[in-house]
Amino acid sequence: MEDFVYFFTFQDPSIAWVVIGITLLGIGSAYVGTFSFLDKKALLGDAISHSVLPGICLGFILAGEKNPLYIVTGAFLAGGLATFLSSWLKKNTKLSEDSIIATILSVFFGFGIVMLTALQKSGNPEIAGLNSFIFGNAIGISEFDLMIYGGLSLTIILVLTVFLKEFRLMVFDPAFGRAIGFPINGIRFLFNVLMILAVVIGIQAIGVVLMAALLITPGAAARFWTDRLNSLLILAALFSILSGILGTYISFVIPQMPTGPWVVVFLSLFALISFLVSPKSGIIFRYLKRKNYLRKTHRDHLLKSLYKALEEGQKGLLIDKIYELYPFQKKEIHQSIIDLNKVGYIYNNQGIIILTDSGVTEAMRVVRLHRLWELYLNESLKIAPDHVHESAEQMEHLLTPELEELLEKRLNFPSLDPHQETIPREKNDLR
Amino acid sequence: MVTQIENPVLEIHDLTVSYDQTPVLWNVDFSLPAGKLIGILGPNGAGKSTLIKAIMGLIPPTSGYVKIFDKPINDVRARISYVPQRESVDWNFPASVLDVVLMGTYGKLGLFKRPGRKEKELAMECLEQVGMTGFVNRQISELSGGQQQRVFIARALAQQADLYLMDEPFAGVDMATETAIFQLLRDMASSGKTVLVVHHDIHSAMNFFDWVIMLNLHLVASGPKSEVMTEELLRKTYGGKLNLLTKVTDLISKKEFNPLKS
Repeated sequence: MEDFVYFFTFQDPSIAWVVIGITLLGIGSAYVGTFSFLDKKALLGDAISHSVLPGICLGFILAGEKNPLYIVTGAFLAGGLATFLSSWLKKNTKLSEDSIIATILSVFFGFGIVMLTALQKSGNPEIAGLNSFIFGNAIGISEFDLMIYGGLSLTIILVLTVFLKEFRLMVFDPAFGRAIGFPINGIRFLFNVLMILAVVIGIQAIGVVLMAALLITPGAAARFWTDRLNSLLILAALFSILSGILGTYISFVIPQMPTGPWVVVFLSLFALISFLVSPKSGIIFRYLKRKNYLRKTHRDHLLKSLYKALEEGQKGLLIDKIYELYPFQKKEIHQSIIDLNKVGYIYNNQGIIILTDSGVTEAMRVVRLHRLWELYLNESLKIAPDHVHESAEQMEHLLTPELEELLEKRLNFPSLDPHQETIPREKNDLR
Repeated sequence: MVTQIENPVLEIHDLTVSYDQTPVLWNVDFSLPAGKLIGILGPNGAGKSTLIKAIMGLIPPTSGYVKIFDKPINDVRARISYVPQRESVDWNFPASVLDVVLMGTYGKLGLFKRPGRKEKELAMECLEQVGMTGFVNRQISELSGGQQQRVFIARALAQQADLYLMDEPFAGVDMATETAIFQLLRDMASSGKTVLVVHHDIHSAMNFFDWVIMLNLHLVASGPKSEVMTEELLRKTYGGKLNLLTKVTDLISKKEFNPLKS
């Protein structure tokens, strides 16, 4: 708890710096990553992030120490080479994109690991810090590091904001972009540069292995919540910042704990929550919607049975009789009786279930939709009368008042369905 | 049968286009008049879309050239509007109908500038012309095929061009929409715009177009509808197999290098 207060009150200026840094990094990478996710280029980000490792090592060798300028430049060049190679191979060979990306990722990363191991054997005391580039260590960032990584993040955010319209066009409809004379190839080149930069800014805090997650997961998680590009970008940035800060906190509290994996754990948590509970596309939401719908269908069926009893001259039905009608749905019917009683469509008179006035109206509506649909199938679509019941059983719960009106007009307000049963309306009320 | 025109809106000179190294259009040469509704007809794989893309400069020609308003395409892009095939984009992209129609104003805005109120008003007018005002804020994935097509046409209208190139705007569109869109295109043509439409249905082509281009790897005919819609030319376009041309194409695509490249 003490740690928590100490960390989140930012008493320690170095913590404040790290949090500012990770916030900028989060916005920058989520921003770029969302576009590459929409562009279906998620794997490329993974390839680039693994490919920067040899560049980091080369920068270290040339500088002889952990100088961020050398390391960032080395990483950027290696990432650039990987990006260039992947598009060159795609253009000039018949290899598929995924095999190209897999090859580049493993070749570059393997080469980087070889260099890293060789460096570790060299006995340079500065080498210890180099390991943090694999899984990231946000706490170990120096102020000078922050200036460089933060500055680069700001550049990325700025360029993306200025060119928002152009990048939107590049992802959605590049052919149209070319047709109106936009330099789409140039815009794509600029985007690739930003993508490599977004990887490079994360190597210290998140590490090369997991940086792709910080690029792609925020956008993917945010996509569950919104259908608009602007809110998608903002939400993705928010997920990314929160995970970044939480991950940094963990690696601050627990010594020797790398930051990258924890950031990814929190990001995945956000993604999982989004997948489960977001409205429209979340699975829990869809499950509840479906459950509610099924409950409504059971209520409609009970109303129909009561109405049919009314047609046969019975004022109501014994509860036991109702259960007999639906032998495998006792629980559901029990629930329907409670529900319908609550809304005042039925009442229970000494074990006999009777429709109220409003209940009769509602039951008539369901029966009417059922019979109208049967007639429509039979008359307009020429389907035999003994084939129309199943479909009507489903449509009676779905048809809207507008569609009902259309059906009535189309069929010219019919009085009988294909089975010669009356289509109930207010004028032939049985009450 | 090719009718050439003095002072054409669009002039295509001896155009050959290849994908990778497989030629898909052979020596196409025609010119088009202004203010006409023009149909490009031909069977599947005849190179209709390729022709449109080559005109827009989206595919570099192997040989030949295209001139629009007597200038190379890059000088007159602001006056040309392009409707790509509906399937060419991902309709799950997070955008509203308005967002997409606003893209039609990007060309005149140029780089950096964002669409403002003036552009939004224009977009709304264009949506009204295609009868989609009620869908302004709808997510594009929720639209039917016909509605998506109308959004694309509204986007093209927002370009305020003089020449319109449309790639299969009637694919997957219901009858009512087809008639409405054709009426709109007809009005555009009578106000002096030139509208070029890739189309697959010969029957409706008979009714709608003023001028027809028939294509099947090579140019079969280009001229006023009354002159080119003959049984003989239609059979040439759709019926007979182009055995020789197809064999040459196979020969070229099997080479280890591109023999047409100079």
